[in-house]
Amino acid sequence: MVYKREIPLVITFLVGMLAVADYFIPVDLIVDAFTIVKNWALVVVAFALGLGAVNLFRVHGRHISKRTSGQWYFSVWLLLMLVVSVVIGLSSRQFEGSDQYTWWYNSIFMALSSTMYASLCFYMAAGAYRVLRARNLDAVLLLITAFFVILGNTPLLPATWIGFFEIRKWIFDVIVEGAWRGIRIGVGLGSIVLGIRTLIGMETGYLGRR
Amino acid sequence: MTVWESLENLPRWLILGLIVIAMIIPIMRPLGLPIVTSEETRDFYDVIEGIPAGGVLLFDIGYGSGGYPSLGPGNIALFHQAFSRPIKVVIIATALEGSMMYPLVMKGVQDTLTEYGKVYGTDYCFLGYIAGEQTAMAAVLGDLHAAFTADFYGTPIAQISMLADIRDYNDIDVVAYITTAGGISEGWVYQSFSRYNRVTVGGWLSMMTAAMKPYYTAGSLAGYMDGIKGAADYEYFTGHPGDALLSTDVLSLTQTLVLIYIIIGNIAYFGRRAAEGGS
Repeated sequence: MVYKREIPLVITFLVGMLAVADYFIPVDLIVDAFTIVKNWALVVVAFALGLGAVNLFRVHGRHISKRTSGQWYFSVWLLLMLVVSVVIGLSSRQFEGSDQYTWWYNSIFMALSSTMYASLCFYMAAGAYRVLRARNLDAVLLLITAFFVILGNTPLLPATWIGFFEIRKWIFDVIVEGAWRGIRIGVGLGSIVLGIRTLIGMETGYLGRR
Repeated sequence: MTVWESLENLPRWLILGLIVIAMIIPIMRPLGLPIVTSEETRDFYDVIEGIPAGGVLLFDIGYGSGGYPSLGPGNIALFHQAFSRPIKVVIIATALEGSMMYPLVMKGVQDTLTEYGKVYGTDYCFLGYIAGEQTAMAAVLGDLHAAFTADFYGTPIAQISMLADIRDYNDIDVVAYITTAGGISEGWVYQSFSRYNRVTVGGWLSMMTAAMKPYYTAGSLAGYMDGIKGAADYEYFTGHPGDALLSTDVLSLTQTLVLIYIIIGNIAYFGRRAAEGGS
């Protein structure tokens, strides 16, 4: 089926060129046309969210029907919570703006989510104690950098001696930024190449095939 | 087991137990330890302060419940400042859970809203969640009225009086966001600053600073709020002390304890090696 390949490639090329033109040739005609395309994209993204929910039912429905060991009861719980959330949201016709949904979210999801993130602090403390040891040259460099960054990040210590703050700032401004800029420029160049390859139809991974 | 080996392998309950104690003490009895404010947060504050009377701030809630403990206090401090000024604030959410964070944040600024007589729809509005991250950002800045047809509560956008004159990026003075997501954080730099040349300021988790600071140094971001420490600075600047300033005592004690753990671990490591004859 030629159209399954050619039509998406043509659409990609046209939309891609319009996006490029919108940036480099911002005349009203192009800007207005691209604004319409951007709003179409929002609709597509919204559908993708719905599609994601459908896919959750497919994947986890399969786990439940096959009674996948160590998994199926989590799948039941996931789908149950998904359905309950939707029912609570729809029942008030105000969706996430309703009191019921807010209570549901704040009392259960928010408490669990905040606790999970907060517990990371304990792992980081135990990890820092066990891992940050001067075993070899690489570890020494990591240890020194981590030590001074923590010194500068601890609110009390720079207030005692501003030098801790300055050392951390130097590490960020010189070492981290230098390295990060190099990485970003590399990623940027790679993105340009990928973009051009996609525009001219040499990159077709998004079509679901190589 | 020698003393060095014992020090090298402190039990987990002791390590974590002391951390818990270091957290609980300042929460129960705030110590008021000194802090040094950062120039990046000061720049963020000055940008909002510099919006002219009648100007527009577009603000994105780009975080959810996981990020709220770190970023919520900074968001509340920012809203205290924004709502105390004669500017209009258009609030959106590019994070799925952003809509659920809005009522929590607004609850924290009720006193400022009352004090300055701010009215929903006239001085500020919340347009809700918009999917698509960078696509959404580009759409909002390109044509706000096409990107949103109604606000969070279902009121048609045409009926919100303050939005009659706010249609696209030309009508927006400053774009600000607070997020836990790298895509949202960099997305606003690309769309707001690079594409539409708007003054842009951002707030994020501390671990994202290494990735985002180059944009500040390059001038793409006019200021930033670095996690809970940045939020504490912001609370200090706005004169509304809250959870972030309270947390700096916790940060000071727990991070000092982590430094002590690292020192103990290394002393024990070298002590054991010396005792074993440098092997």
